[in-house]
Amino acid sequence: MRWRLWLLMAPALALLLAIFAAPFLHYLWLSTQAQSVLTGLNPEPIGAQQWLRLWNDSRFWQDTWQTLRFSATSVSLEMLLGLAVALLLDQPLRGRGVLRTISLLPWALPTTVMALGWRWIFNDPYGPINRLLAGLGLPAIPSLSNPAITWMATVGADTWKTTPFVALLLLAGLQTIPADLYEAAALEGATPWQTLRRITLPLLTPYLLIALLFRLAQALGVFDLIQVLTGGGPAGSTESLALYAYLNAMRFLDFGYSATLLLGSFAILLLLCGTAALVWRWGSRLLGELR
Amino acid sequence: MARLLLLLWSLGPMLWQLYSSLRPSAALSGTGAGGWTLEHYRQLLQGDPPFLTYLLNSAVVGICSTALTLALAVPCAYALTRIGRRQARSLTLLVATAAGFPAVLLFLALLELARDWHLANQLLALSLPYAGLCLPLAILLLQAAFADIPIELEEAALIEGMGLWQRLRWVLLPLMAPAMASSALLVFLFSWNEYPIALTWLSRTDLLTLAPAMARIAGSSVFTIPYGAFAAATVLGSAPLILLMLLFQKQIISGLTQGAMKG
Repeated sequence: MRWRLWLLMAPALALLLAIFAAPFLHYLWLSTQAQSVLTGLNPEPIGAQQWLRLWNDSRFWQDTWQTLRFSATSVSLEMLLGLAVALLLDQPLRGRGVLRTISLLPWALPTTVMALGWRWIFNDPYGPINRLLAGLGLPAIPSLSNPAITWMATVGADTWKTTPFVALLLLAGLQTIPADLYEAAALEGATPWQTLRRITLPLLTPYLLIALLFRLAQALGVFDLIQVLTGGGPAGSTESLALYAYLNAMRFLDFGYSATLLLGSFAILLLLCGTAALVWRWGSRLLGELR
Repeated sequence: MARLLLLLWSLGPMLWQLYSSLRPSAALSGTGAGGWTLEHYRQLLQGDPPFLTYLLNSAVVGICSTALTLALAVPCAYALTRIGRRQARSLTLLVATAAGFPAVLLFLALLELARDWHLANQLLALSLPYAGLCLPLAILLLQAAFADIPIELEEAALIEGMGLWQRLRWVLLPLMAPAMASSALLVFLFSWNEYPIALTWLSRTDLLTLAPAMARIAGSSVFTIPYGAFAAATVLGSAPLILLMLLFQKQIISGLTQGAMKG
């Protein structure tokens, strides 16, 4: 009887292993091999040299910093805005269902499609933003050509697309909070702020954590948006780790180093998501004791 | 007030694209007069290959990936709810971790897979990695739905002498319809939007799915930028999805929230 259950799972598990687990073994092996144009695209063992190269590669560290900057900013914005939108949609207002659907539309669109759209919106001088500024007599913002600003444009486009997703998750969480808690709080004369801090946020914690971890992992792997919106530029100022790994494989044809970079990115991802989960757990326990 | 702001924030960028796509190029760069035109759409639809090819390719890959994912996930999810607590819990944890994993980090290994097995430039072969990437979410959703079905129902069918296949087909699956619809829609959305793998597996222009086609349009001209055509492409590329969202919003929303709660 039991073996039949395993048999039912076997095809799915086999595909999962092939898609998720096999790549890591392959990368581990490939990161110890030189496989590039120089070796005629044949793998040649070179030990830990590529890991050394990674350690000394200033472009890798720059991209790490840029990816972290992008992730931290966009994920915090998305959590804040997502919470605000979720609280708004949780109110018993007219047209709530329609509004919920409409607000989810940005999430459903392909990233590459809207990245192209954003390129036009950020255009200098003909995009709507700069036209509006010009109409007000203000100088244009070179959103896509100034390294100090372009990364914020990528954060903006990402926030636009993924806030609805965060909002939807948090809304589901809000709807699990029993209404009598709010009624009791209102009877006790609690202010809206107190209600939010003492009832809503604590009960929403698991949802906030899921949204945070999921979004953090996705943001650290940002690729589509950057590649289409800025191509990593200007002057590499928005290049992400995933884009760098992609360029190494597809443009410089250096597969060994690309695999090393992908493993490096994965290590960073693991480190950050693990830390986030731990900090969250300690933090909430500490808060619980203080309360 | 806040509602209006939300509406504007969500729809504004899309409406701007719609507006731009209907304006003549000269008006967009501020040199010509106003007026309206369908020029950009005509250009796209008569391009080589016509834009509709990309939409069709995406639809084919989407449907095929959805079918494959469900075919693999349904038996797996069923077995997970019957196999006993301990194994199910550890397997579910692994699956949930995979569900949050950014797929782009896998592109290089998958590319080599495509090379070794001669899967590059085969439209339907894309369903294989897509199904693999969507399996975690689909399994979580379906597993939750199976767990909601009272076990007595299946036991009764067992007493009636129904085999495993009959029980699945006639007793359980009819009750699974909502969860299967949600998973199917999410898989379809995923494969419609997926970019890095399509980008590295497909090189023939007439096989491109929507996402890499959009990127190629974006990269085609860096200096003289045909923004009218860009805008028309964004409109045509989003229209099917917007339609899908409006038609099936309930299933998509319940699928998303369920998936996160189980994960």
